[in-house]
Amino acid sequence: MLNRKETPAILPIEKINFVKPQVFDISTSTKLFFMKEVPNETTRLDLYFDAGTIKGDIGIASFVNGLLLSGTKEKSSIQINSEIDNLGGFFESGISNENAVITIYSLRENILPILRVIKDAIQNLAFIEHEVEELIADRRQKFKQNMEKVSFLAQRAFQQRLFNDSIYGRITNEADFDTITIPSLKKFFHENYLNGLTKVVVVGNLNQDEIDEIIDLTGIWSSEVTTQFENSIKNLRGGAHILKDGAVQTAIRVGKILFNKTHEDYNDFLILNTIFGDYFGSRLMSNIREDKGYTYGIGTMVAELHETGYFLIATEVGKDVKDATLKEIQFEMERLQTELVSEEELLLVKNYMLGQLLKSADGPYSMTDLYMSVEPYDLDLDFYNKSIESINQITPERIQELAQKYLRWNDMTVVSAG
Amino acid sequence: MITFERFKLDNGLTVLFHKDPTTPLAVVNTLYDVGARDEVDQKTGFAHLFEHLMFGGSVNIPDFDAPLQMAGGESNAFTSNDITNYYDVLPANNLETALWLESDRMLSLAFTPKSLEVQRNVVIEEFKQRYLNQPYGDVWLELRPLAYEKHPYKWATIGKEIKHIEDATMDDVKAFFHKHYNPSNAILCVAGNFELDYVKEVVEKWYGEIPAGIKPARILESEPEQTEFREKIIERPVPTDAFYYAFKMPERRSEGYYMADVLSDALGRDKSSRLYISLKKEQKLVSEIGAYISGAMDQGLLIISGKLNDGISFEDLDKALWKELDKVQTHPISQDELDRLMIKIRTSKEFQEQGLLNRAMNLCVFELLGDADGINTEHEIYHAIQPSHLQETALHILKPTNCSLLKVKASNNA
Repeated sequence: MLNRKETPAILPIEKINFVKPQVFDISTSTKLFFMKEVPNETTRLDLYFDAGTIKGDIGIASFVNGLLLSGTKEKSSIQINSEIDNLGGFFESGISNENAVITIYSLRENILPILRVIKDAIQNLAFIEHEVEELIADRRQKFKQNMEKVSFLAQRAFQQRLFNDSIYGRITNEADFDTITIPSLKKFFHENYLNGLTKVVVVGNLNQDEIDEIIDLTGIWSSEVTTQFENSIKNLRGGAHILKDGAVQTAIRVGKILFNKTHEDYNDFLILNTIFGDYFGSRLMSNIREDKGYTYGIGTMVAELHETGYFLIATEVGKDVKDATLKEIQFEMERLQTELVSEEELLLVKNYMLGQLLKSADGPYSMTDLYMSVEPYDLDLDFYNKSIESINQITPERIQELAQKYLRWNDMTVVSAG
Repeated sequence: MITFERFKLDNGLTVLFHKDPTTPLAVVNTLYDVGARDEVDQKTGFAHLFEHLMFGGSVNIPDFDAPLQMAGGESNAFTSNDITNYYDVLPANNLETALWLESDRMLSLAFTPKSLEVQRNVVIEEFKQRYLNQPYGDVWLELRPLAYEKHPYKWATIGKEIKHIEDATMDDVKAFFHKHYNPSNAILCVAGNFELDYVKEVVEKWYGEIPAGIKPARILESEPEQTEFREKIIERPVPTDAFYYAFKMPERRSEGYYMADVLSDALGRDKSSRLYISLKKEQKLVSEIGAYISGAMDQGLLIISGKLNDGISFEDLDKALWKELDKVQTHPISQDELDRLMIKIRTSKEFQEQGLLNRAMNLCVFELLGDADGINTEHEIYHAIQPSHLQETALHILKPTNCSLLKVKASNNA
């Protein structure tokens, strides 16, 4: 008779294979990372530029990023986009505070023809007036739409208070759109794109000639300067509420400045982070969603910057239960400080995290992303062996110690919007 | 080419096995042939609420997630108007843990009152977060009943209104389970680096003794043919006017479905598409515009939606839009344009099939359509499409009497 009451024997993960991409020098400061082991026809190419939102006047980085394919003297944006589409390419451009990244997805046979189109479009970008005006109008609309979302309002206020008076704490206002001029766009573009390439990442089964051509095509944009990032940011503690009429939910953001992968407590803190709020069975999910039903979801994360990092709790809750939710978040923080985590809960989290790491290393795309998330800190894949070690060795006492050190309610920036 | 094996248990459970020798992970995907279209008018949102309850403990196992997490895995699910799909991803050597969990909740649920009470609240918060507290969030709640008069596609998966979720009783829950959750109404796919004999053995071990049940007959109200243009205007506190033109299109199991899919790409998939170039770049009427299909099993919708530029009226847009739709009806598209649409479709498919989970889910969907091998032969249907087919499809679909138009008028357009 089948025993359905007991779980089948669980086998531990024996080892995880981490595969490093090949590294080529494009210039003294710009590298190309190449993951060749792709068992199909897909290819991805990423270009990283030193053109994040902390650069230049407020808002400018984001506009330049949105205009990269807006046309040259010879070709309109319609022509450029049609050429990319004719080759089956997908183009994305995105921006974070420290980087701008453009990504091309395509079949292997088309990646170089697409890159040639994009190379020409960027090298000869003309900042045509009506294209600039169109983007400003579009972004203005989008901004107004976003201002209707409690999540956006909370995120803005959180960013402002978390990063306080540092350059990371700047937030865009609608009036900033009026200050954008074509000369200022051109200047930013020249400094941060045409001389701002910091990394190229290729995933796809390409040959050496193709890699050489990618280096030839992009090398001219290599950055010569090394950007210094701020490292002494302190979050503004305590609360703020942004009023939004008519909202049926309230968005909550709680967090503090923390650290990045270079810190000695990073790996152990990630385990505490998981227990607290980073998986479906976490303390916050179990309490605030699965016990109280206050929310569709609540989660925590550790986000990283070049010189620092931060810890964040995010959720949207029914508008009547905002205070109750904040109280429970505080309660769960304090519980981690005063009570030891049970061996069973800790074992579950350890196994879960090892499973997640196995998943993060599965396949050439995931593996490359895993590598690229340690590379900025001059770390290599051994970092993940240390993570495994950290997971295997952590104790309930150590979790408690970290909670006492890093999860103090009074250290947190607390923002709500609704 | 995605290889698979198929076998059936005596209780009617269809099992697919997809071998991937390169991955250390396993996927267990379970598709139940039940969605929001199987609900009744006065109890909508039920298939989705039920999906939440499937995580609230089963007959022999008090907690679904914890044992899976203990085995290094994770799980989630989604509900559409057509299907409910559950998946688990975990280290391959713990495959049996997922089979144990999934088979137990197919056998029977715990049906605890606490689970029902909490998940009702969670789903109500989901309703608010995704549909009520977002600009334009309630568009599908309005558009569906405009486009459909009889067919249950007239309500959204989340339900018509919060009250339906509040009113759900334990008797409703139990009846729904007994009707729809049985082996003959499910398709299971196991994917990973295994041997077929092993998969047969462990699937038989965990699922073999589940009673067969009866596959429920699906008799839905069929949608009468639309013969008039429909229009609805709603006013919302949003900053920008938005429009949604919804055209009825052929069901999933027909060639016309694929033609409508390609037609929607031609109209508004990319920045080289017709509506994007004409209405946005050339005439500057809209800030955004796109065309896509709802992907429904029964008669679905081809949607053209977007937002007006400031100072542009709905009438300006309407005139220009119908002019573009007329072009695709009166002139066949060029071979170059068709080639461009085809290579985008092929590229997307290659990327989608990168992931083990996607492959497992899609195999189940194609099996539901009649044959899992459809995943490998679908491109032949696309490739047989000629410019003349698209012209005929446009003539048939893109006409006012087949269209429902929802306009969202901005009430705080400052």
